[in-house]
Amino acid sequence: MRYSHTAVIERGASVDGDLATEPYEAGWAAEARWFVKVGAFDGPTVLAMQTEISPDGLVWIPLEEAVHTVSHAGMVSWSVRDFGQWLRLRLSTDEGETSPTVMVYLALKS
Amino acid sequence: MQGASAYGDVKLSRFNPLGRILSFDDFDRGVNGWCELLGNYDGLSNLDTVAHHMKDFRPPQLSTCTFFDIGTHGPMTGSYALKLATRPVAGHTATAIKRLTMVKRGRVQLEAYFTYSAEATVPGSQAKDAGWDANTHPSERKFGCITLGSDMADPEGVRYHCVARYMNTDLEGNLEQRWRYPVVVEPTPKEILERGKELDQVADFTAPNPGDWRILDERPQPLCYNELPTKVNWHYLRWTFDTGRRANVELQLNDRVYDMMAVPVPSYAERYAALDGLLNFYLTVRTHTATRNFLWIDSALISVDW
Repeated sequence: MRYSHTAVIERGASVDGDLATEPYEAGWAAEARWFVKVGAFDGPTVLAMQTEISPDGLVWIPLEEAVHTVSHAGMVSWSVRDFGQWLRLRLSTDEGETSPTVMVYLALKS
Repeated sequence: MQGASAYGDVKLSRFNPLGRILSFDDFDRGVNGWCELLGNYDGLSNLDTVAHHMKDFRPPQLSTCTFFDIGTHGPMTGSYALKLATRPVAGHTATAIKRLTMVKRGRVQLEAYFTYSAEATVPGSQAKDAGWDANTHPSERKFGCITLGSDMADPEGVRYHCVARYMNTDLEGNLEQRWRYPVVVEPTPKEILERGKELDQVADFTAPNPGDWRILDERPQPLCYNELPTKVNWHYLRWTFDTGRRANVELQLNDRVYDMMAVPVPSYAERYAALDGLLNFYLTVRTHTATRNFLWIDSALISVDW
């Protein structure tokens, strides 16, 4: 049987400018999927999200993938593979814009 | 389990369980129900109603103990250990809780092999390395404390906690390396709702007032931090309490055994509903500085005497 595990990486965090989530070790997982529940916020704010990876949980670079953006409340999801061992998510909004709240889930599967 | 009979199962031979094993958790096979603790919330699932100091205890991780200098260190056995990681915020606590109920009342024992570390400083950063003498490492003073906690409620509705805390450093960052115990019960979400006054977001949820933590034994018990934040040595832990008498019994960390029979067990004056037979165990790591602290559990075993 395959092993799966869902971790709530952020719970109600407010994205005011730039937010990098805490490092999460997931080297056992062959696949990962982010689910980001985005609370109500007013346009024209754009919330940008990008997966970041690290060899040691200390130094980070963006994963080779597109930046995911959303400009309204709802849920966004995308899958991640070939990420090595550590994952985190960088979320950002333009300075001075409204600050959406997010709930970030990381769903992992062996 | 003694002597040759223990070798019937090599994985169990390093433990000393009571007569019946309730769970034997090898984190090579998942988190085994050691999950994040979160405070209570209202009937609409509004997470804004969670007590402020119980909102962010962080999700446990399955870790290979991998570091910047050598890569994968690995746990005591197998490939993975359960890892608790704080945020790099002074006072922040990470938890893992396992939830059972009482089939009978009597002695209960938690055993584990664990290790701990403060996060290494990123190479190239401006952090000072003052204090390094090629033996002890300054990061050892950035590791706060480890707590063994429980939450019990017997069929009469009496709710109580047996708790022990290894204080590696005091709140000023001085090495303490002694065990302490609290003389008060945890502040509960019910109390906070009724009182209408929240605790600080990084309050110590087990017992917020440092003065409520008493020294179990004046004599320090230094552990094997092993000179660097990236070398992890595994320590044996055995902790026993008695749900029949609502009493502490004994605590063992490697070669030191602490008699806890005389250590008082705080209980709530108020009766709690919906907790009949509650038998929860929790482990926490709390940082006293703006440095991530880590606690790894290679394996854990819960046994009872009935």
